[in-house]
Formats: sequence, structure tokens, C-alpha cells
Amino acid sequence: MSNYIIRRLIQAFFVLIILSYLCFSILSLMPGDPVDVMITSNPKITKEDITRLKKLYGLDKPNYVRYFNWLTSALSGDLGYSRVYKIKVEKLLGERLINTFILSVCSLVMAVTIGIAIGVYAGMKKGSKFDYIVNFISYGLISMPSFWLAIVLIMIFSIWIPILPAGGTRTVGDNSIVGLTSILDRIRYLILPALSLASLQLGIFVRYARSAMIEALGNDYIRTAKAKGLGPSRILWNHAFRNALIPLITVVTLSLSGIFSGAIITETVFSYQGVGKLVYDSIIGNDFNVAMVSFMISVAMILTMNLLADILYGVVDPRISYK
Amino acid sequence: MSKIISVWLVGFMLLFVNQGLCAKKLSNKQLTIGISQEFENLNPLVKQMSATSYIYSLVGRSLVGMDADGKTSHQLAVTTPTLENSMAKFDGKGKNRTLKVDWEIKKNASWGDGKPVTGHDYKFTWKVAMTDTISISSRDAYENILDIVVNKANPKKFSIIYKSPKWNFNRRFAFYALPKHLEEAIYKKYKSKPGAYEKNSMYVSKPTHPGLYNGPYVINEVKLGSHVVVTQNKHFYGKAPKIKKIVLKLIPNTNTLEANLRSGNIDMISSLGLSFDQALALDKKVKKTDMGFDVKFKQSLTYEHIDLQLKNKILQDIQVRKALSIGIDKKGLVDALFEGKQYVAHHSFAPIDPWYTDNSKVVVKYKYSRRSAKKMLDKAGWKLSADGFRYKNGQKLAFTIMTTSGNKVRELVQVYLKDQWKKIGVDVQIKNEPARILFGETFRKSKYKAMIMYAWTSLPEESPKTTFHSEFIPTKSNSFTGNNSMNWKNKKVDAILEELDGEFDQNKRIKLAHQIINFYTDEIPVIPLYFRADVSVVPKKLSGYRLTGHSQLSTNHVENWSVE
Repeated sequence: MSNYIIRRLIQAFFVLIILSYLCFSILSLMPGDPVDVMITSNPKITKEDITRLKKLYGLDKPNYVRYFNWLTSALSGDLGYSRVYKIKVEKLLGERLINTFILSVCSLVMAVTIGIAIGVYAGMKKGSKFDYIVNFISYGLISMPSFWLAIVLIMIFSIWIPILPAGGTRTVGDNSIVGLTSILDRIRYLILPALSLASLQLGIFVRYARSAMIEALGNDYIRTAKAKGLGPSRILWNHAFRNALIPLITVVTLSLSGIFSGAIITETVFSYQGVGKLVYDSIIGNDFNVAMVSFMISVAMILTMNLLADILYGVVDPRISYK
Repeated sequence: MSKIISVWLVGFMLLFVNQGLCAKKLSNKQLTIGISQEFENLNPLVKQMSATSYIYSLVGRSLVGMDADGKTSHQLAVTTPTLENSMAKFDGKGKNRTLKVDWEIKKNASWGDGKPVTGHDYKFTWKVAMTDTISISSRDAYENILDIVVNKANPKKFSIIYKSPKWNFNRRFAFYALPKHLEEAIYKKYKSKPGAYEKNSMYVSKPTHPGLYNGPYVINEVKLGSHVVVTQNKHFYGKAPKIKKIVLKLIPNTNTLEANLRSGNIDMISSLGLSFDQALALDKKVKKTDMGFDVKFKQSLTYEHIDLQLKNKILQDIQVRKALSIGIDKKGLVDALFEGKQYVAHHSFAPIDPWYTDNSKVVVKYKYSRRSAKKMLDKAGWKLSADGFRYKNGQKLAFTIMTTSGNKVRELVQVYLKDQWKKIGVDVQIKNEPARILFGETFRKSKYKAMIMYAWTSLPEESPKTTFHSEFIPTKSNSFTGNNSMNWKNKKVDAILEELDGEFDQNKRIKLAHQIINFYTDEIPVIPLYFRADVSVVPKKLSGYRLTGHSQLSTNHVENWSVE
């Protein structure tokens, strides 16, 4: 197993390098470099200004040289500066990554626990009224546009029953909010975006859990277990649920890979200070260093979670082994 | 156990509800403003975003400013230097003629840490701006300066000597000083490394240091991508602002700005907030139900228009260009889409600009007449066919019109125009691109085939040189600089534009501007559409607030704001 993990980690490193070059090249292929973007917003820029700025930002060099410069400094721990904000990338991303992580984890925990519980129960009660209602609601949640749900939540809980803030990450400008009040304040700002994000994921988890459970319950080994006289809870958890876990692991680990990527729509609608909009703006605004670091985090998370999924398959299913 | 949990849950719920319902009452203690545009760090030399200018005007002041009526007002300067008051004098003759402009900073003008603002700060700022390793986007305000001489006996007095005298020498609206006492050491340390000064400047490392600001407020807290909190500057030279604390909250989604306003999360929406259609909708709601807000509209200098590609063979025919203009009912457009709150444009100078004129001897106006437009096209050889469109030698009279995709207002205008032009037999297809591609590539390199619709904004009396002069046609040789994307070439206009900058007589300048307007409206390289209005939503209790309509934003007069 350890050999397998080491082999996969080495592979992941090379995948990261190749993808980083691809991402860098795609970013460079986008029409207009950072200086072009400046020209359109400032008609007073002269030809001399352009030559000076292109040299200053290293845009006068070929793409592969720029990539190599970025890679060597990134590997030495220097992630560079944001061209737009003129601050270090880690400083710009740091707190936002934590905010996004908190939001994603909260919504994922809500969605996974509630979604799997409801899905498993609906799978057990296939064809019942409860199953139909769950199906109807989960389809509704999956099809619901996230911005619409977010706005509805704001309307209900911030305007009609004004108990939660319409947006933000915390109360600003009030120095009296410290200690426990500060934690509660953060929770108040987290509830609506987390609820909005969780609702969308909830439908997906319900659907997966339900169909995995139905499939597992229809297998021969369940009939055998029943024939052996095992109790219903043992059949359910030890035999059916454990087998239903394999597809669920795939879905949950893939969802986990996005915990640092940000939910751009939810974060934007709720003015939540996460990485989602920053990443989008950095791509649009050609802020290379920020965009590249965000790409790398996303790629690394996907690779890590894929590896984790593979390991977990082995844990839940003894037939799977890695050599 | 369950009882304890229930008590805790109820406790938490009550706390939330209590915090939610205890909405603060609007007073001079704090005003929370919603903005929808991103801002960067507040170093005045390298800032580029409109939202940063909006915030910077709360904390930084220039020598002179422009008020909401478009008039020059003194800020840090004691008075405005002019040739008449002898504070500006020419030296030398011909090409070697220079201009010396004497400035005096107000005695009590100081930085937020109590250190006086002096000529040394301005000289230092100019030096930093002219350093090749600094990523200042345009040196327009600095490169014409030959030297800055600070009076040794009184450093509050200094002279700026200009290489090439221009009439607008005393309109230094964007010449914001850097505090030499704080920034010089950093500059000296990092000036040799490209981009290093601005990354290590105190505006980045210690943005809440009061000494960085000389305006009515100082920065108390700043979180990029989230909010800025400003509090009163004890050392402000002018009238102390009445509002003690201002919080600026970034709410990037304009659809939720209204919800934030109604829920009390913000007290007002800045001019960098709602789109025009949203403002119109909110205005109706506000008038129907007393929500305690006013939606303010102010005619601005932002000029919406269509550049016509003069490389396009069909559009090279002036009759076609004129027919296209006559074929648009602009009054109908602004009434139908903007309820008359934005204004028909006949040329690029707005009615609030002193250079504006609607004199029919100067401006060639194109009164809407479908019949005249049809006649013109017939005369130009474009004959109407059975399919309702016009053809000439088998070629259809068809164009593409481009604008920024996702801009709801412009997309509506496009549909209106397409319909109007169809009625005179012109087939117009809509082809939009994201702003990044449209402005970064298509417009900048003049790659559009026929028409491009967009807007630009300016200050009153701003020379349109970079837009109308043939030297500013974007080409590879000039690194695609300049906004003359329509490829308009008129030697007489070029000559007038060159003369305009060096003309110190106001009346003569107006005459020159009118000559430009005459050529512009007669040759019609651009179809003017309308001037946008600035919009803002403010509490009824807020007095002294005025929208400006130009790039010197409302926060330049923040000391006049008060909650009654």
C-alpha cells in the first residue's frame, strides 16, 4: 500500500507540473495581456508607457521563459505578488481560502449527513410516499439555480424576517464585537450561504445514496444474509450500506476536492469573502500569479482526493487491494 | 440532557434574532455605503480602479478639485494659479518656451500624523512617478514636468516648471502627493528592483497609518475584496466632516445591493453600484412605498456611442453613415428604455461641459426621419428588395454591431437599433463579446468589421485628442495605443487638436472645440447615442450629498454630508 501511495504521489507531482504549464499557456493565449487591459481603461497611455510596462511585468519575454521564472520562484516558496492588488499572493489568498474552506466544509457536512441519511432511508422505502416526496424535492434542489435560491433566502431571512444579514463575512466597523460574540457574529453571516450551497449538494447526495442503496439491497448477498437470519440493522449497515459506500465515496471525495475552489455564485451573491470571485477576477484581469496558485490548489486537491478515494475503496471493500 | 440542549438552542436563536433585529439607527455616528466594484490598495500613484478613486477621495486630496457643478475648487492649494494672477508665467520663446506655475499649500494642510504637506511631497511624488521601475500606468500628469522647485524658506510654496506649456496646467486633479516622510526610505530601498516599491509601500504594509492620508478621513481598517472603514482625520485642514465613521462594503452582485439596503446591511448605494435599469426599477418602488431612500440621477459626461469602422467599404460612403444616423429615433430610445432620465447626444461634449454647444451653425444634427434615411440610401444606390433589405450590385446592406456581452442595457439598445435600421432596409446582426475580449483585442486593435457600441467618460473641457487625432489610430507601430478605432483621418481636425492644448484663451479654446464638433458631426465617423446618468441611492436623512457626473466623484465633497 505504501509503495502504491508513493508511486501515486510521484505521478501527481508530474501531473501538477504538466498541468501548470498548460494552465500558464492557456492564460497567455487569452486575448490581451495585463498591459493591454490597462490601455483600454486609460486612453492616456503612450507607446513608451507600454514598452516600459511590458518590460516591467516581464511580458516582453517568450511564454516558456515566463513560465520557467514563475515555476522556479514558486518551487522556492515565493508565490509572487498580485499584479492588481500589489500584495503577496499568499496574503491575498490566505484568509479567503480559510473562509472558503469554512463555508465549503459546513455546507458539505450538512449536505453529506442529511443527504446520505435521507437517501439511505428513501432507498430502503423505495416506492413509498416518502420516497416520492424525497425524489421530488431532490430533483427540485438539483435543478434550482443557485443565485435564485440565494436571493430567495436573502428575501426571507434578511428582509421579511430580518434575523440574518444579507451578505458579508462579519460585522465591520463595530469594535465591540470580540470573543464569543465575534464567533456568533461569524456564524450569523455563514448560515445563509452555507444553507444555499448545502441545498444544492443535498439533492445530489440524496440521489446517489438512494440509488446506491437500492442497488445494494437488490443483491444476492442481502437475500443470503436474510436467509441466514441476520437482524435488519446488521443487514442494512454491515452488508447493504457498506457496499453502497463505494459510489458515495467517489461523489463525496470529488466534492471534497472543491473545498478550496470556492463557490463563485454563492460567494458573490452573499458578498462572502472567499476565493471564488477572486479566482474569476484574476483570470479575467490576467492576474497570473493569483490565477496560477488557484489552479494549482484546485489540481492538487483533485489529485489528492482521487488518491484518497482509491485508498478508501480498499478500506470498505476487502476485494480491492493495491500492490 | 435534552432540556439543556433545548435551552442552549433557544439561547442561540434569541441571540441571533436579537442581533438581527437590533438594526442600527442611521446617524452621524456611522454611514455604511455599498459599492459593487472591486478596489485595490490606496497608493494614489499606482491606483487604477474607479472604486479605489472613490475611496481615496475620502482620505486624500489634490491641490485643486472639481465640484459637482464642474467648477475648479481649491483643495490643498491656497488659490488656483493663473496667468492673470501672475502665479503662472512663461519663460523663453518658441519651442523652448516653458511655463512656471507657483503653488502654495494651505498652512494647516497636514498628513494624518500631523506632519505638514509641503512641496517636498510633490517633488518626491514626481520623482517616484518618473522612475522606470514603478508600475504607474500613465505618466501623462508627470512627464511634461521639467522640474519642481521648493521654496527653501517656506516649503509650503513650490513651483512646477513645464516643458511644453498647456492651458490646463492648473487642473491638477489627479496629482495626489505621497508622504515623503514615510515613503522616501522605502522608495530608496526598492527603487532599483522592478515593481518592488509599490509592493513594499506603506500603503500595502501599513495601510492604516494615518500619515499616508491628508483628506477628511483616514483609513481605520481595510480588507481587499471586502470592506474599508474610515474615521475622521484629526489633522484635516478643512471643515471637519460630520459623519464620524464611514464603512464601504463591497457587494459585487448588483442584484443583492437592493436587498442589502432594505435589510439595513448598508445605508446607501454609491454611484459605483446599481446598473441604470436597476436604478429605474428601484426608483419606482421607492416612490410607491416610503422606504426612506431617494434614488438620485445626475447627467454625466459618460458618452454612449457607436464607432463606425471607416475601413469598411460600405461605411466609407458618408451618405450611408448619415442615413444610419437619421434612421435612429434617439429621443424615442431614451424615452422607451431610460424613461427620459438619460439624455440624447448629438456629439461627444455633454451639456454640462463648457465646450458643449447645440448651435445649429456648429453642430450638424440628424433629425429622425425614416423617409429621409430611405431617400439617402436610395440615392447612394442601395435599392430595396422584396425581402425588405437593400442591395447594391448584389451586395446586401448588412453590418454587425458589437458591444460588451452581459451588459443588459446595451443589449436592449442593440435590439432597439436593429429594429429601427430594419425599417429602413438595413440588416444589422448582433455579435457581442465579453468586455475583456472586446476591449482587450477587438476594439483596441480596431478589428471590428462595422460598428462597436461602448462609452467613455472624461472631465469637462478634456481634449478628445486620443480619440479623434489620426496619430491615435491604433496600429502595430504605435503598440495599438489611442482610441481612434474608427480610423478617422482629418488633417484639419489633427491641427486643431494640436492647437487646442496650447491655447490659453478660454474663448478661443471654445471656438476650436466647436470647430472639432463641426467636423465630427458633419463627417460622422461616430453615431452619438446618449449621455449616461450617474445614479445613487441615498437615505432621505442624508443632506449635502451631490452626484458629480464626472470622474471627480461625490466623495470629494464628503465633508458636506450630514445625517439630519
